[in-house]
Amino acid sequence: MDFLDIGLIFAAAVCAVFLTRRVTRWRTCPDGGSPFRKQGTAKAFLSVIKAIVPEILLLRRAARTGPLRWLAHCLVFYGFMGLLLFHAMASLVTVNLFSGYEPTLNPWQFLRDLLGGLVLIGLALMVARRVRDRRLRVLSRFQDWALLFVVGGIVGSGFLLEASKIISPAMFDSMVAEYGVYGGGPETTALKAAWADRFGVVFPSDRLVTPQRVERGLEINDESCTACHSDTASAFISKPLASALTPLAPAMNRSRADRVFWYAHILFCLVGLAALPYAKFLHPLTTPANLAARAGRRDLGRPGGAAARGLGMDACTRCGECSLHCSVAPSFAVLGNPDILPSEKLASLTAFRDGRLSGLGLERFAEGSRICTECLRCTDICPAGINLQDLWLASKPEAAASVPDPNQAVRAMTVAARSAICCRIEPEGLADRRESFWACVQCTTCTSVCPVVAVSDDPSRDLDLLPQQIMNLLRMGLKDEALGVRMVWSCTTCYKCQEHCPQDIRVADVLYELRNTAAARLRQAEGEEG
Amino acid sequence: MRYAYFPGCKIPHHLPQYGDSVRAVCRALDVELVDIEFNCCGYPVRNESEPASVFSAARNFALAERAGLGIMTPCKCCFGNLKYAASRLHESPELAGEVERLLAREGLALPQRMEVRHLLTVLDRDVGAQTLAERATLPLYGVKVACHYGCHALRPGKVTGFDDPLAPTVFERVVAALGAETVDWALRLECCGHPLRGRDEVISESIMRRKLESAAGAGAHILATACTYCQLQFDVERDRHSFNSPWRAMVPAVLVSQLVGAALGLEEKRLGLTRNRIPWSKSVLSNDVS
Repeated sequence: MDFLDIGLIFAAAVCAVFLTRRVTRWRTCPDGGSPFRKQGTAKAFLSVIKAIVPEILLLRRAARTGPLRWLAHCLVFYGFMGLLLFHAMASLVTVNLFSGYEPTLNPWQFLRDLLGGLVLIGLALMVARRVRDRRLRVLSRFQDWALLFVVGGIVGSGFLLEASKIISPAMFDSMVAEYGVYGGGPETTALKAAWADRFGVVFPSDRLVTPQRVERGLEINDESCTACHSDTASAFISKPLASALTPLAPAMNRSRADRVFWYAHILFCLVGLAALPYAKFLHPLTTPANLAARAGRRDLGRPGGAAARGLGMDACTRCGECSLHCSVAPSFAVLGNPDILPSEKLASLTAFRDGRLSGLGLERFAEGSRICTECLRCTDICPAGINLQDLWLASKPEAAASVPDPNQAVRAMTVAARSAICCRIEPEGLADRRESFWACVQCTTCTSVCPVVAVSDDPSRDLDLLPQQIMNLLRMGLKDEALGVRMVWSCTTCYKCQEHCPQDIRVADVLYELRNTAAARLRQAEGEEG
Repeated sequence: MRYAYFPGCKIPHHLPQYGDSVRAVCRALDVELVDIEFNCCGYPVRNESEPASVFSAARNFALAERAGLGIMTPCKCCFGNLKYAASRLHESPELAGEVERLLAREGLALPQRMEVRHLLTVLDRDVGAQTLAERATLPLYGVKVACHYGCHALRPGKVTGFDDPLAPTVFERVVAALGAETVDWALRLECCGHPLRGRDEVISESIMRRKLESAAGAGAHILATACTYCQLQFDVERDRHSFNSPWRAMVPAVLVSQLVGAALGLEEKRLGLTRNRIPWSKSVLSNDVS
């Protein structure tokens, strides 16, 4: 057992444990019924199969969010899958498919560089997208950068490993020792000269290369090496990288940089495997699964079962497209609660289901849930095909049940408590200015036209106070008293009172403002507590 | 006639038939609708934060102004809140300054000409009763319609400038142009009760029932709505009543765009008539109402 085997077993074990935990957690989602019940299993299965080519292999939904984003995903997806299957899993896949496979032979040597290069271009596009868009930059979390870093690390260390092997005399020696028949005589020297001259190995001696030796060396190379080792130039990224590193080569060779980068490469891969169940790292598995399960739908469809909802929650790639298109994003710009945005609210929903939300986090999640207008746009745009609308429709009542809205919260408070959470920065509004009510003659027109008063047999029981009584209360400066009055919260905002007021008092605007005041105070109080 | 189309948040998921029928009718009447990715009008969040509400509305105006278009919305709450925000921006320089700062972060300018029209006004002023009557190949003769105005377009009249807030006529003019008969009813200008859904269900329900009784009492066959929330109240919310409930059977709610479309002879499916929870009976469509 070497480092690779032990590391692989350890990383795979970590991955399996956390993956199991994640999947079992799906059960905590409320069950909305099987999405397949109505359709019939066979038909549903067929629709899933039909979705695989356009949704998963062609990344159709990523294309809807922009050509560059689609290109970046294609580059990383195809590049990485190619490397995974034909390079990382070569002993399982490539060896069995292609006889005479040698990693140092073409096309493999060339393809490795090509696929790695594609991945790097894709990653660069992804980084650029996150940096360029201000709103997206704000939304980016540790995991977003971590995934880019780990994948970039895997490929980058791979290139460095390849380059450091090219320049390494130790690598040359071990290859000669393993495959060569030359015992250190002039043939070996000639071969060295050829590899130093043509293939980029950097030997300590600078008097090694002579034309005769190179010519002889190339002959030996043709006889003994080319069957298993192509020209290093076909590694069209690693070879130039090796050339660029030539000034550092002596130091790198002395410190056996090829071994260092081998460890780095393996470590990055193992970290990637171990982190696979962690949040965004899982999306290369869960997103295709979710896309297939949703069979290409972009609307609500039927509510999902617990597993379908759980899979959806884990399929988020945190690309942020939903938040960039969110209908209530302007409310986020003003209120600053990230949970107003779907991508952030989804992360909080996961925490909420795990029971990890409390205090300010819970209040924010509840506020974000309240402010969502269920406009379907996040569901329509989501490149991972997540049925966000279904998740919100299911979670909104739960959020409302765990945190009272301002209406319930303020009315449940005593006047003293309402005064105690008085905002220091509360704006001077209509309700605070005596001019707003100066002209009120208590004629009760507002009350007599009010449709809410009209449906009540006993308004003082159902509504606490009537509109003109609230105006009177405010005229006396008793704003904290007025905040808890049911009439304030049960106003339909139909504006009849204001329209009919003979004295032009902005009755409905004042009631609206009182609700705002209560909400603002609660928000500030939560902020101070959190 | 060219407008930036503002469907609002509720239409895509909760009332797609309104969006479908508005598009079908506008196409038939040569009203060009341009799709812009607007955000929420700010009406729902106005209960929690006026600055958030006003900024939401202002951003929509800024997007429309950048496209050089006025806004047309079929929703009265969207219309009302956009109008309210415009008046607040005129009224309060501090608020306008704050909104300008937030808009600048996205490279948008504070909108100057904040123009929004409701669908009814477009049908009445841009299309006109005469054109409507001429194009109505299947006039709604014999259908008695109670026009439900909806609050937020009508009031406060000084802010919305929609119609006479105490005696509006625009809705009746449009419906009459289709050949239908409009009824006068006591609670014509009252609230539908939807704003209290989820806040005070009892009062919301009572307000809705009173209105339905008033419309039915005036002899109306249908209740015409021209607002997303009103239709949600009178159709989707009312649908929760049991099948035997007297209110459920009372005057079905039909969207104004569905009425216009039916008179123009557009397909029922394009108008989303089959998606209404409380159906408008076929016998009315085929004009054999006694």
